[in-house]
Amino acid sequence: MAEAARALWQSRSPWVGLARPGRHGAATGAPGMHVALRDGLGLATIVAADGCEAVLADRLLAFGGLPEPGKARFTGERGLVWSAPGQWLAVAEEPGVLSGLAEELHGLAAVTEQSDSRAVLRLTGPRAGDALRKGVAVDLHPRAFGPGDAAVTVIAHVGAQLWQLDAAPTYDLAVPRSFAGSVWRWLDEAAAEFGYVVAVR
Amino acid sequence: MTALALARADAPAAPASAQPQRVAGGLIDRTRPLAFTFDGRRYGGFHGDTLASALLANGVRLVGRSFKYHRPRGILSAGSEEPNALVELRGGARREPNTRATVAELYDGLEAASQNRWPSLALDALAVNGLVGPVLSAGFYYKTFMWPAGLWEKLYEPLIRRAAGLGRAAGQADPDCYDRTQAHCDVLVIGSGPAGLSAALAAGRAGARVLVVDEDVVPGGRLNGERREIAGRPAAEWLAATLAELRSLPEVRFLARTTLFGVYDHGAYGAVERVADHLAVPPPHAPRQRLWRITARRAVLAAGAIERPHVFPGNDRPGVMLAGAVRTYLNRYGVLPGRRIAILASGDDGWRTVADVLAAGGEVAAVIDTRPQAPEALRRRAEAAGARVILGGAVIGTRGRLGLAAIEVVDGRGVGATIACDGLAMANGWNPAIHLDSHLSRRPAWSEAIQAFVPSPAPGGMITAGAAAGRLTLAECLETGSAAGAAAATECGFAAESVPAPATDPESAAHTPVWRVAHPPGRRASGKAFVDFQNDVTANDVALAHREGFRAVELLKRYTTLGMATDQGKTANLAGLGLMAELTGQPIPAVGTTVCRPPFTPVAIGAFAGTHRGRAFRPTRCVASHAWAEEHGAVFVETGLWLRPAYYPRAGETDWLQTVIREVETVRARVGLCDVTTLGKIDIQGADALAFLERVCANSLAGLAVGRTAFAFMLREDGFLKDDCSIARMGERHFVMTASTAHAAKVMEHLEYGRQWLWPDLDVQLASVSEQWAQFALAGPRARDTLRAVVDDGFDLSNDAFPFLACGAVTVGGGLPARLFRLSFSGELAYEIAVPASYGDAAWRALMAAGEPFGIAPYGSEALGVMRIEKGYAAGPEIDGRTTARDLGLAGMVAGDKDFVGRRMTDRPGLTDPDRPALAGFRPVAVGERLRAGAHFLALGAAPSLGADEGVMTSVAYSPSLGHWIGLGLIRRGPERYGERVRAYDPVRGGDVVVEICAPTFIDPDGERHHG
Repeated sequence: MAEAARALWQSRSPWVGLARPGRHGAATGAPGMHVALRDGLGLATIVAADGCEAVLADRLLAFGGLPEPGKARFTGERGLVWSAPGQWLAVAEEPGVLSGLAEELHGLAAVTEQSDSRAVLRLTGPRAGDALRKGVAVDLHPRAFGPGDAAVTVIAHVGAQLWQLDAAPTYDLAVPRSFAGSVWRWLDEAAAEFGYVVAVR
Repeated sequence: MTALALARADAPAAPASAQPQRVAGGLIDRTRPLAFTFDGRRYGGFHGDTLASALLANGVRLVGRSFKYHRPRGILSAGSEEPNALVELRGGARREPNTRATVAELYDGLEAASQNRWPSLALDALAVNGLVGPVLSAGFYYKTFMWPAGLWEKLYEPLIRRAAGLGRAAGQADPDCYDRTQAHCDVLVIGSGPAGLSAALAAGRAGARVLVVDEDVVPGGRLNGERREIAGRPAAEWLAATLAELRSLPEVRFLARTTLFGVYDHGAYGAVERVADHLAVPPPHAPRQRLWRITARRAVLAAGAIERPHVFPGNDRPGVMLAGAVRTYLNRYGVLPGRRIAILASGDDGWRTVADVLAAGGEVAAVIDTRPQAPEALRRRAEAAGARVILGGAVIGTRGRLGLAAIEVVDGRGVGATIACDGLAMANGWNPAIHLDSHLSRRPAWSEAIQAFVPSPAPGGMITAGAAAGRLTLAECLETGSAAGAAAATECGFAAESVPAPATDPESAAHTPVWRVAHPPGRRASGKAFVDFQNDVTANDVALAHREGFRAVELLKRYTTLGMATDQGKTANLAGLGLMAELTGQPIPAVGTTVCRPPFTPVAIGAFAGTHRGRAFRPTRCVASHAWAEEHGAVFVETGLWLRPAYYPRAGETDWLQTVIREVETVRARVGLCDVTTLGKIDIQGADALAFLERVCANSLAGLAVGRTAFAFMLREDGFLKDDCSIARMGERHFVMTASTAHAAKVMEHLEYGRQWLWPDLDVQLASVSEQWAQFALAGPRARDTLRAVVDDGFDLSNDAFPFLACGAVTVGGGLPARLFRLSFSGELAYEIAVPASYGDAAWRALMAAGEPFGIAPYGSEALGVMRIEKGYAAGPEIDGRTTARDLGLAGMVAGDKDFVGRRMTDRPGLTDPDRPALAGFRPVAVGERLRAGAHFLALGAAPSLGADEGVMTSVAYSPSLGHWIGLGLIRRGPERYGERVRAYDPVRGGDVVVEICAPTFIDPDGERHHG
C-alpha cells in the first residue's frame, strides 16, 4: 500500500497536455523559434528587509550580486531577476540550490520558495522577439532591451516576468502556473506563422 | 457615341477576357491575368488591379445603389475615401459587407456582389424611393413616423431598416484568425507618398528607428497616379531610388496594406494590416488581418489629401468621378474610365487631366472651369486637343439612365448646352487628410490659401508634411517631408538633416473652390445635388436643416446624417460646411468642424480581439487537480478567472442536486476531498509581521501562538467588511494568510498598500504564494484516517497533538514539504493540506487512494457552499461590501484595545444602528418549499413595497442533513427575532414563501464535530 502510494508522487509539469515535442505551425523553412520547457528550476522571491539592501548585495555575490531595477544578472544558470523595488526572483538550475537561502539571509530578507509557482519557457530563435511582441508591450528592440534586461509585464492578459539571456535572442518567460494553459494557447497561435519547435529539457 | 454606346458598355455581354476600357501603361502586371465575378458574372483583370479598376476596365460603371434613394451609383474615387462603391466580398462565412471596391485588391477567383438592391442592381424596385424624395428628406423619420407611436418598433423601424441599408453580415462564425502585435519606433511616418518617403529618408539617414505605414499596397502615394518628373526624370525613378535607399537602412521598416486608424494618448497609435485580404483564403497559419499597437516617440503625418467633389444636380450619376481618380485609373491601372471625358475644374490642377486622357487615347469633350479666368497655357493646350473650354461655367445637370451620357452646362453668360460625354472629372481642390491629427481633439485651422482645414499649428501634435499639411504641390511635399523627418528625428535625439529637395516639373495649386455649382437664375434645377453620397444628403437637405434651425455644425450632422456612416464624410464634410456658411452668411471657420474620431476607416472587430475570442476571451486558471477532475467527468464553474470543479457526477445521477446531496452526505458521514487551490495565499514575514497584521485585522491576534491558526477579518477604511481570512503562524516572524478566492488579489493590494504607504516603518515583507501551493480540504469523520496514510510517519496527527486550528509543516510522499492546517469550512473534522503545486496532482491522487477504504468522494464548490450555509458561515454573498462586522454577528470579535484600518468609521451612527439588517438563518414553514437567494423579507400580511422591505436572503441551499431548504439572510434585528415568521418575497421568479427566522447555524451548533 505504502509502496503503491509512493509511486503516485510524481511531479507534474505545468505544460503537460499542452506542449508536445516537435515542430508546430508553419512547416516549411527554418523554424522561427525554439521553445524549451524549463521545468524543475529552483525559484524564490527575495524581499529585502528595510535598509538591508547593501548587506544583501554582498551576501548574494554568489549570484552575481543584486541587479539594478529592470535588470537580470546571471552566472550560468544561476541568477537574480529584478521584480519590484527591493524584490528579486532568485533562479537556479534546481530547487535544492536555494534551500539554504532563507537561513543564510535571515534578518536581511524574506526568502519565499516559489519553485512550483511559475511555469517557465525559454524562447530563442530569429522570430522569438516577433512572437513575444504579440503579447508584451515591452520594446524588445536591441537598443531598448538586450541581454541582462528584465521586465515585469503582462503577456496575453497574464502577469509575466521576462528576461533576456543572450543576443540570439534568447528569453526566459515566467508566468503563474495556473495560467499555463492560456499562455500556451496564446504562444501556439502567436508563433504558428513562424513555425516553432518544442524541445523538452 | 452617346447614350447608345454607353448603354452597351453596361450591357450584360462582356466576356471574361475582354476589357474594353483597358489601355496601355500602368503598374498592373499584364502577365498575371485574374478572373473574378461581380454579381455572378465573370470578368477579367490583372494583378495590381483593385476591384474598382478591374470593373472600370470591363466597362462596368454601375456598382451599387445608394443608401436611401436607391439611386444608381458608380465609382467616385480611387482610394479609401470612397463613399459609393461599397460591395460584399466573398461568400459564406467569409462574406464581408461594405468593402470599398476602390481598395479591394483583385485576386483570382474574387467573388463580389453589389448591395442594397432588389431584385437586381440594374432594376432596383426601391428606386421608387427617389420619386418620393421630398418625404424622405433630412430628418424624415423624426417627422413622418410619429403616429401612432406603437408602430415605430413593430412596423416603421423594421421597414426603414430593410429599405435603407448597407451590406449583409456573414451570419456565421469567422473561419479566419486575426493577430495582434506591437511595434515601437522613434519616428512613425504615416503615408508613403513623396512627403512620407522624404521624411523617412531624412529620419532614417540619421539612424532613427523609422516605421512607415501606408494603407496602399505599394509605396508612392499620388506619384503612382500622376505623370510627374523629379530632378528632370520620371518620378518613378526617384521613387525606386528612394525605396532602395530606405531598404538599405536597417532601422527603417515599411508596413504596406496597413491603415493607421487611430491616434491615442502618450504616443500610442493603432493600425490594421490586411495580411491576407488580397487572397481568397489566408495561407496556413497566417492571419487575415493584424492589429498593430504602435508606440512612437514622434509621428510625421504625411497622409496626403482627399479631392473634393462638386455639388451640382445629378453629380452622383455613375461616370462622374474625382479628377484625381480619373488620372489614377489612367496612369496606375491602364484603365480609361470613359472614352469621352469632360472636366469640371475650379483650379489649375484639374486641367492636368486633359493631357492624361489624351495620352491614354481618350477624348476630352470639354473643360468647364468655374473660375472666370484660367491660365492661357492650359486653355490653349485643351483647345488644341479639341476640347471645348468654358470659363466661368457650370454643370447644371447630367443625363443617362444607369450611367453618364451627357452633361448640361452653362457658360459665364448663362448660355446653356448639352455635351455628350461618358465621364466627368471633378476637380474642386483638395482637403488635407488631417483626420489623424485631430483624433486627440486638436481643432484644425482654416487656410485661406487653399480654402481648406489644415492641421492646428499649436504644438503637441504630430509633425505634418506635404499635402496633409496643406502643402499641395509635389515640390512642397518633397521639401516639407524632408524637413518633418529631420525635425522628428532631431526631437528624438538624432543628428538629422533635411535632405535637399530635388526639382520637379512646374505645377500650380491655384484654385477657387465652389461649395455649390452656381445655378443660373431662371433655370429649373433638374435633380438632386448630393453633398454626402453615402448618406444621400443633398444640398437641399442642408438648406432644410438651416431653415429648421439645425445650423450648428454638430446639429447639422445629426439632423441630416451628413458625414456619418462608413466613410465618415471624407468627401462630403467640407461641402456641407461650405453650404452652411453660405446660408448663414458666415465664413467657414466660424461654422466650425465636427470632431474626427478613430477609426479613420472601418476596422473589423475580429482584428481588435485577435486570438482572444471564444473561451480565450480572457485567460483561464486551472486548479491543481484539474486533470484528475477532467478524467472523472467533473462539471466546472467559472469563478473569476478560475475554472473550479462544481460537482463530480457519477453514473446514474441525473441532476446536479442529486450529485451535490451525495457529496455532502459523503463528507458528513465519511470523508470528502475538495480542491481549494483557488484561495489567496500570502506569505508574511519580518520582525514586525504580527504588528502589521494587528493593524490590518479588526480582531485581536495577540494570543496567536506559533503552530496555531486564527480566523480573522479585515475592514475597509470606511468601516465595512473587506474580507475574512485565516492567519496561520508558521514561525515567530512568519505568517501565512489565506484569503477568499474572490478577494485574493484585492487583499494582496490592500496589504501592499499598508506596507508601502501606511506603515513604511514596519519591517514586514509580503509574497504571494497562491501559485506555489496546491491546497486541498479533506473533511469528514474519516479525514484523519485518510490523512494518516499520506503524511509521512513521525508526525503526530492526534487530536491532542494537532487540535482544531493547529498548523504546521509536515512532509508527505517520503519527504516532500507540505503545510497542514486544521481548519473546517464544512463543520466536520477537517484539514487543509498544501503541497508544492508541481505535486498537487500527485497529492490529490494519493489522498483519493488513501481515502478509498473509508469511502472518500471528491466534492466541488456546490457541496462546499451547501455545507458552509448549513454551518452559517458568512461568505461572498454576505461580505458584499455593504455589511459590517456587527451585521454578520462578529461584533464580539472586534478588538476594542487596538487601532486598525477602518476602526474610526465603524462607530458611525449609520453603521451602529440597531435596526440594520443582521445575519440570521431561515427555514421554510412548509418543509417542501424552495427558497430563493435574492428574495426580500416582508412582515406577514404586509403589502410589498420599498418601505416594508426588512432585508434580503443572501444564500440558500438544499440541506441534505435536514431534508429541506435553508437560507442565510440579512434581516432587521435578525438575532432578536428567532422563531418569528416573515415572508420571503421574490416577485422576479414568482417566489412567496413563509419562513421562520432561526439561528444561522443549522448543524452542530456547538462545533463538536470539527473539534473531534
